[in-house]
Amino acid sequence: MALFLQRLVDGLAEGSIYALLALGLVIIYRGTGHLNFAQGEMALFSTYTVYQFGEWGVPIGIAVLLGMCVGFVLGAATEVVLVRPISKKSPFAVFIVTIGMFQLLNWLDGAIWGGQQLPSTAMGSKQVKFPSLFPSNPDDYFTVFGAAITWRSFCILALVLVIGAVLYLLFNYTKLGLAMRAVASNSESAKLVGIRTSTVLMFSWGIAAAIGALGGVVFAGLTTNVNQSLMFQVFIYASAAATLGGFDSPGGAVVGGLSIGVIQNLAAGYADEWVGQEMKVGVAFLVILAVLLLRPSGLFGTSKVERV
Amino acid sequence: MSARIIIKSGGRASWAIRAAAAAAVVALLLWIPTRGSDSLIDTCTTAAMLMAAAMSLNLLLGYTGQISLGHSAFFGIGVYTTAIAVTRWGWSPFVTLPVAFAVAFVVGLLVSLPALRIKGVYLALVTLALGLVFPAFIKWPKIEWLTNGSRGLDQTGFKFSKDNPTYELFGWNPWGNLRGQNVKPFYFWVGVLMVVFVYLVCRGVVKSRVGRSLVAIRDNSTAAAVMGVNLAVTKGIVFGLSAAMCALPGSLSAIRTGTVTPDSALLTVAGSITFLVIMVVGGSGSLWGPVMGAIVYQFIIERTGDWSDPDKIPGAVRPLFSWSDVAPGGGIFAMALILLMFFAPFGIVGLWHKLVAKVVTVVPKPAGTTSLVREETAPAES
Repeated sequence: MALFLQRLVDGLAEGSIYALLALGLVIIYRGTGHLNFAQGEMALFSTYTVYQFGEWGVPIGIAVLLGMCVGFVLGAATEVVLVRPISKKSPFAVFIVTIGMFQLLNWLDGAIWGGQQLPSTAMGSKQVKFPSLFPSNPDDYFTVFGAAITWRSFCILALVLVIGAVLYLLFNYTKLGLAMRAVASNSESAKLVGIRTSTVLMFSWGIAAAIGALGGVVFAGLTTNVNQSLMFQVFIYASAAATLGGFDSPGGAVVGGLSIGVIQNLAAGYADEWVGQEMKVGVAFLVILAVLLLRPSGLFGTSKVERV
Repeated sequence: MSARIIIKSGGRASWAIRAAAAAAVVALLLWIPTRGSDSLIDTCTTAAMLMAAAMSLNLLLGYTGQISLGHSAFFGIGVYTTAIAVTRWGWSPFVTLPVAFAVAFVVGLLVSLPALRIKGVYLALVTLALGLVFPAFIKWPKIEWLTNGSRGLDQTGFKFSKDNPTYELFGWNPWGNLRGQNVKPFYFWVGVLMVVFVYLVCRGVVKSRVGRSLVAIRDNSTAAAVMGVNLAVTKGIVFGLSAAMCALPGSLSAIRTGTVTPDSALLTVAGSITFLVIMVVGGSGSLWGPVMGAIVYQFIIERTGDWSDPDKIPGAVRPLFSWSDVAPGGGIFAMALILLMFFAPFGIVGLWHKLVAKVVTVVPKPAGTTSLVREETAPAES
């Protein structure tokens, strides 16, 4: 029981990170109908900037906010400069552009920060490990029913719930949120009633990238370092989460992310011989495949009706 | 109106141009292994393998519009089929090529089943996951007895003995310096043969009834189905063929390098993206696109390989790249990918067709006698 509870909470904490990136995917998908393949790499770039701020002696709390601002600008700029003009051509062109951004950002990370695992003493880092937002000493835990639950896992889970609540308030009780929902439901009509759809889309991409940046920082804090391949698998887990929850449902993204995290951790824990650490990605693959085959709209998404 | 050159398709001038182009290609192919340097032969062999992989992706993506980011997995199936057959069962390396082809064909067929229901970027997502799963699967403890996990397999190559025959044609050796220990020209020719095979298969598919139904599926699948195209069978076979042809260069790379590991670049998702970059840069949906793309890709990657040292960068572009100590190849192609989508969505081949169309008017054969004329090559009004 204690072990189960521990695995459950660890799974929820990991799932929270997937939920953050999945939220970004969903916000972009709702606005423009595109799947942003560069979401993970945008988060990674912001995570590197957070590391850089840390090198300059900025405390972690402020560094994260600055990193989120960098993410916001990056996301908004990508939408305005690249995605908006190209989306008039074809969805395939948008796909290629996001793949191009994926590669460009990944190369840029290596080019600027030296293509090695950071912090590394060989690269002259002042920091010993990537700063964690939350207490992460070995004795920072509390006990529930005999299960040792780290404060870190608890705080990460709390963080995603807070972010979810803030987004809920943003979507439902602000003018920007109303405009975003209007654009998501019918962008032509939204334009007709005087909503600046282009500004809304720019904000969508910015917010998505900023949330992703937060996810990246938390994940790097969990693994205590940042490297160029940090986000490959996280992106797939986040996509699995968004698929499971439904690509147009923010609430679904959170539920999906937490579920993926829990399923994975339980599978890796109890079927150690079969799943282990290596085949965790196989679990995500099966989830994506099963959901897309059996219920393409996901658990909470609205099914798409296509005019032929 | 400036003077335009008018060429009748199928006429004498058209055949003369084709013959000249073919002669130039053959001359180049003979020149590289006999007169070229060892490193040039190596570069061209690698380019040939990338060409075959990109062509297989092009058949799927360029002609049917099914996006695959999982071709690295098919490439890897080729690599591991050969490696396992050679090291575990003692097969002769080249015998494993058709086996790898068959194995990848079956796996491709299996993958095509969900692909019938899943479309567009969702398919890209599924295949991306497939590409990520493949290296993890190879390292899976349950099949480590077969694949040797992350340590990889050794001695998968072709062993040359001293009495390998040298082939001479009228006293002249078209194989290059096959004598002695230099086996590079040998692999060059195997690579060329493979590219020719893959090209002929692609051409055979594209310029046939199947190819026309593929384009119809890409452009409007509902209309295609109404016209009597069997979507499931056509897509399935093309997916299988594409996977199988991608396994061939994988097989050859295992034979050529002699060692395989699950983390080498082309077996991970980076490989899928490389194939995609080559295809888009060369020109998607054209037979010669991947050929051009692979040559340009491999030469730029090799040329910029030592640009991590600022002194090695030629003066004109030094300010652009000297700030970083990482080779700029990846960044150059990432930017090329984005810019091409804006200015030349059909890649190098598309640009070439545009340029030619400015000077030359090609008069097509009467309708019904040509097989497939792409919009780009259609004659401009003169």
